[in-house]
Amino acid sequence: MRKFVKGNPDLCIGCRTCMIGCVVEHEGRRIFEIDPDGYDFNPRLHMVKTAKISVPVQCKHCENPACMAACPVNCIKVINDAVVIDTDSCIGCKSCVQACPFGAIDMVSKIGTQQADGSMRVVANKCDLCVGTGNGPACVRVCPTSALTLVDEEKLKEVVCDKRVATANAAKVFADAKEVE
Amino acid sequence: MGVHEIEDAKLIFNFGYNGADSHPIVQRRIVRAKQKGATIICADPRVTEAARIADVHLQLKGGTNIALVNAMCNVIYNEGLVDQHFIDTMSVDYDAFVEIIKKYTPEYAETICKVPAELIRKAARMYAKAPSAMILYGMGVCQFGQAVDVVKALGSLALMTGNYGKPASGIGPVRGQNNVQGACDMGALPNNYPGYQNVTNPDVQAKFEKAWGVKLSNKVGVPLTHVPQRVLEEKDPAKKLHAYYIFGEDPAQSDPDVAEIRETLEKLDFVIVQDIFMNKTAEFADVILPSTSWNEHDGVYSCCDRGFQRIRKVVEPPSTVKTDWEIICEISTAMGYKMKYKNTEEIWNELIDLCPNFAGATYEKIEKYGCIQWPCRSKDMNDKGTVFLHNGKFATADGKGKFYTAEWRPPQELENEEYPLSFSTVREVGHYSVRTMTGNCRMLRNLEDEPGWIQMNPADCEKLHIKHGDLVKVMNKRGWCITRCNATERVAKGATYMTYQWWIGCCNELTIGSNLDPVSNTPEYKYCNCRVEKIDDQAAAWDYVNNEYKDLRSRMGIKMIGEEA
Repeated sequence: MRKFVKGNPDLCIGCRTCMIGCVVEHEGRRIFEIDPDGYDFNPRLHMVKTAKISVPVQCKHCENPACMAACPVNCIKVINDAVVIDTDSCIGCKSCVQACPFGAIDMVSKIGTQQADGSMRVVANKCDLCVGTGNGPACVRVCPTSALTLVDEEKLKEVVCDKRVATANAAKVFADAKEVE
Repeated sequence: MGVHEIEDAKLIFNFGYNGADSHPIVQRRIVRAKQKGATIICADPRVTEAARIADVHLQLKGGTNIALVNAMCNVIYNEGLVDQHFIDTMSVDYDAFVEIIKKYTPEYAETICKVPAELIRKAARMYAKAPSAMILYGMGVCQFGQAVDVVKALGSLALMTGNYGKPASGIGPVRGQNNVQGACDMGALPNNYPGYQNVTNPDVQAKFEKAWGVKLSNKVGVPLTHVPQRVLEEKDPAKKLHAYYIFGEDPAQSDPDVAEIRETLEKLDFVIVQDIFMNKTAEFADVILPSTSWNEHDGVYSCCDRGFQRIRKVVEPPSTVKTDWEIICEISTAMGYKMKYKNTEEIWNELIDLCPNFAGATYEKIEKYGCIQWPCRSKDMNDKGTVFLHNGKFATADGKGKFYTAEWRPPQELENEEYPLSFSTVREVGHYSVRTMTGNCRMLRNLEDEPGWIQMNPADCEKLHIKHGDLVKVMNKRGWCITRCNATERVAKGATYMTYQWWIGCCNELTIGSNLDPVSNTPEYKYCNCRVEKIDDQAAAWDYVNNEYKDLRSRMGIKMIGEEA
């Protein structure tokens, strides 16, 4: 099963450290050495604050990704069990953005990648679970309140198991109520 | 109380304090307390992160704090939830206090603060019945014309329920900035020497005169917020201010009614600005003294819980830049008082020997324990300071806590037909204070930049035909600015909020400088009126914002990519 990062709104304080961590991880250390306006600031997860919820939203690394199915040039691939966009071959058609039911993909321009007409390349952008860094997802590591968890098969099983227990207990309550009747 | 105690609180009453945006590290402790089972009551006009996880959110109308506190005290009194033994043995002036709160029934308070009476009752019962309860308050209490009254009323709420002198209880001001407590501790106040020793006390005066070998004044100085009046209106030449030495402060950005501040800075004969980067105030300076930043010098910070912590130099400053203390020494010497220190420890040792409450907080001890909360009176290594105050005895002359509250006074400038919305300044996470530091941090600038946002209820936006992200004009009789509309259900209808660090979206063009709290002299940053106007030509407005920003940055010598320095 593919892993994914999940935010817990009970712990999230909306600080967006995860977004910074994401950019630093993907741009590399040189970000602090180059011109402030000379790098991409394209976080792959986004803080969403509604009336009652604060939580970052990112890719769920679906088992049957709608984005991958929608991509006409096959630039969305599964690498090390993560659904990853190959931005070098992305043609910027936005099909994946429309296909994703979670709003996890956006379009971003890439500084320093000029096209024939002088404009910057615009490509699809989303969470890649920091594959290839060997450090695991940066957002999980930098969150000050530990509001983000990398959910793997084991964790998902635990959650399902807990829910089954809760369902069983609810069944007992229902049975007790019957007896009272 | 100590900040670390927050995690062990059984109940946190979070009043006018938005930790998630002001101090995420404190909010982390509030979140942990909640995870450990603490009950949270939050009083705030907005749905802040704390309000979101609170058991009860008292979403009061801005500028009505004391009506809510009085009503909670009223419930606790009327329902017999007081700690009578504590009141009898540990306090004074209870009867006079009760006389005032009697009038503030929850139903009466509801008419003022718009919080349902039943919710006030619920919160009051929760607070009074908690085994121990902690109050945290912030600028949502302090930045009103009626501020100190509210602090004392909150203190009385803790007093009537015996919530003092034990762990994870009491009342904690979670102060605006990391070292604002330190500035006060060190005597950067018009009426005190370091260690809260009053300048009008002859014994104190004699002590400092002896230590420093000079004659000292026994007159109270001028509060920061009185500066404009002393420059623009004062007729007596002896009282008029002529020179202003500003360091680590950007009044042209952070003070209320910045149009008046600009006029003040222009009228002054001489302005010195000592800071780490250019800022708006420095544009008015006759002399700019570049000084080192927090990672280029040693020093001591006081946390909001009276905790002294050392900071250490990690990088070598450029050769053209000096530390603040070196600059002060050189200026003092040039003015005829020879001042010379080898290092910050030498300064610190002189200071703690002159301040009985700090006397035991040596560098060695702070180094060993990481943090020493004053009072710490003995140099003995076993005196590790004081985690919480008022243990068995209040720090008053008779050792007793003094009850106090007051009648509610409305804010000075209310909404009217011309300016139908209320306007308040707030914080946002990522940018610290006036962003002299964080505005120069590329990552934080990437996250949020000019011209900032005005938080508005979606219903108000709809009425004005504006949508999320639109540039809008915000104005009142003092001034105007351009910013983006942030349509959010987290704010109530009729209320608007802006953060105060943006140069273009400068909310202090609107804030009111004339309604100061009579005791603290803090301005009413949290209430005035405004009108929001739709801008039809968005492209022209964006051009205006971008050009203004570019101009400002080039005037300040900030290099952009592709530009010559």
